[in-house]
Amino acid sequence: MNVVHAIASVAFFAAVLRVSTPYLCAALGGVLAERVGLANIALEGQMLTAACVGALVSGLAHSMWLGAITGVCSGALVAVLLAAAHLELGADPIIAGIGMNILASGGTMFAVFALLHEKGGTTSLASGTLPRLRIPVVGRLPVLGPIISGQSIATYLAIALVPMSAWLLQRSRFGFHVRAVGEAPAAAAMVGIQAKRVKYATLALSGALAGLGGVFLSMSAVSFFVRDMTAGRGFIALAAVFLGGVRPVGAAVAAVAFGTAEALAIQLGNFHVPTQLITAVPYLLTVIALGVSAGRRKRAEVARATG
Amino acid sequence: MTPIEIEGRTAFVRQRRRSLIVDVVSTLLTIVAAVGIATVVVALMHRDAMGALHALLTGPLQRSTRVGNWLVLSTTLTLLGLAAVVPFRAGQISIGAEGQLYLGALCGALVATKVHLPSPLAPVIVSVVAALAGGLAGAVPGLMKSRLGANEIVSTIMLNAVIVQLFDWTLRTKLKSPRQVAPVSDNVLPAARWPKLTTLFNTSLGRANIGVFVAVAMAAAVWALLQRTSLGYRMRLVGSNPQFAEYGGVDVPRVIDWSFVLGGALAGLAGAHLLLGVYGRLEPGMASGLAFLGIVVALLARNNPLIVVAAALFYGYLQVGGDAMEQQTSVGAELVICIQAVIVLLITARALPTILARVRKGRGA
Repeated sequence: MNVVHAIASVAFFAAVLRVSTPYLCAALGGVLAERVGLANIALEGQMLTAACVGALVSGLAHSMWLGAITGVCSGALVAVLLAAAHLELGADPIIAGIGMNILASGGTMFAVFALLHEKGGTTSLASGTLPRLRIPVVGRLPVLGPIISGQSIATYLAIALVPMSAWLLQRSRFGFHVRAVGEAPAAAAMVGIQAKRVKYATLALSGALAGLGGVFLSMSAVSFFVRDMTAGRGFIALAAVFLGGVRPVGAAVAAVAFGTAEALAIQLGNFHVPTQLITAVPYLLTVIALGVSAGRRKRAEVARATG
Repeated sequence: MTPIEIEGRTAFVRQRRRSLIVDVVSTLLTIVAAVGIATVVVALMHRDAMGALHALLTGPLQRSTRVGNWLVLSTTLTLLGLAAVVPFRAGQISIGAEGQLYLGALCGALVATKVHLPSPLAPVIVSVVAALAGGLAGAVPGLMKSRLGANEIVSTIMLNAVIVQLFDWTLRTKLKSPRQVAPVSDNVLPAARWPKLTTLFNTSLGRANIGVFVAVAMAAAVWALLQRTSLGYRMRLVGSNPQFAEYGGVDVPRVIDWSFVLGGALAGLAGAHLLLGVYGRLEPGMASGLAFLGIVVALLARNNPLIVVAAALFYGYLQVGGDAMEQQTSVGAELVICIQAVIVLLITARALPTILARVRKGRGA
């Protein structure tokens, strides 16, 4: 089997969707938080917490759905704590976010050890996985079928959440409030929007989305939680947020691009291809895109100022 | 000086001294609170709470090798804390120390293993190369921020990821030792390594090396830079009020560049410490998580380079104590990570003193 064969295969495209799911969820969450003007740098910690809680609850309570739901809620809870640290205690959101990430890393391992007396993760605990959906008609299509059908329910949910969050931000009353608070806090306060409440709600939603990505990691990609299993995915999602211009659809495209790069690196692991360099490409592109867009914005500002 | 000026200066000095005391006291209270919370958690969950606390607090001093570990970790954390302090003081939130460290270690190892160096100067040359490489890695997000206005948080996180992959790739291909199965590099020649404290002082201090002195010297140098040089003054000016600095004729972009480059060089030096002082070779993931701890140390020290040394010693102690606790009792070292996180959150919660004051006032009224 050669390289082209491996990439052009149905399995590869299915893997792209699978690998992209956590990035997709967390990136959407990142967009919402960024738009309300409260950077959620703790996406990583929210994913990690949700992954851990999801696996633990589903294993201990023998209920897959309960695990998934509490996992998503725990992600939201971490985000609300971050919001509270900033809004109530005046903490810098970036630094508090770093603290939250550290807390999630230590807290999850502490919880696993306290409940299961295990160091590495919850591999000994039999926890459920989210169901895979077989779509009746589409599933029988020749090429598309195996790609689209048979994915985890979280993957479909993540894809559906892209237009939903775009609608939420651009068309709904809540989204209008979010953008108002983020872009013109003074004006928002003037017309009676309760900035604090909107920020809490947005952060909770943001954490829940990141939590969904985390739950997918421990309850679909595999059926257990391991130490630091998010492995920086929250930060990649954050990159996707900015690469995608802080818009749901843009961030989703960027997230899938990151997912593709990761799937490519996995797929090419068998060949003599430097996978590390492939993995590095999307980050490098983000840096370049960040520089280009910032430069363009700066030039526009200068142009506006001078003439 | 006129009497009014003298009076103003005395008041200023007194106020500054008071704010320093408040800083130190609140930092100590934070630490006590975090350790207290951890103790309560352990006491609720484990029967062996007192034993665990004992191991955590006295463990690092029980064996000389643990003292060595403590010194090694504190050295790295001091350098990384300083690497965070310099850009922080210029108002730049650089999270790039991880990448800067890895690039420094990587370039240092390339020079140390591929180039024939004159032996007495070898450690110095390799260290300088590592610092320069770290500075270069810092210059990229610095220039992007100062010239283009690109968000430094995002760019440093992304560059970290790029450099970590580059490090991993180079280590597994170009630098991999043919004599080893694991992806590690060849050992650096003994002549190029930083001398060990064990040989200097004739006690077994594990991997502790002269990096301890390098770190303290760097802390003093950063303090002198910030407090006694014109560049340092401009950095603090830009950090506290960039508009005012610009109005006052400071070349703000250039100051930002320098803050990133100098911070990067310090992180690169931390890479040299790991390469030449601790491991003697490159290992995969040799600095994972340390850079974030450097930020925590900088926060704990409230961006004061001299206090960074104390904060790093405290953190190193906590970490080594955590390992001792894990070895001796059933309580895991994760607890230490939780303590660290609680410290970060309490420290960043700047409003805490005001809330306490409000509560006190409310009770008084």
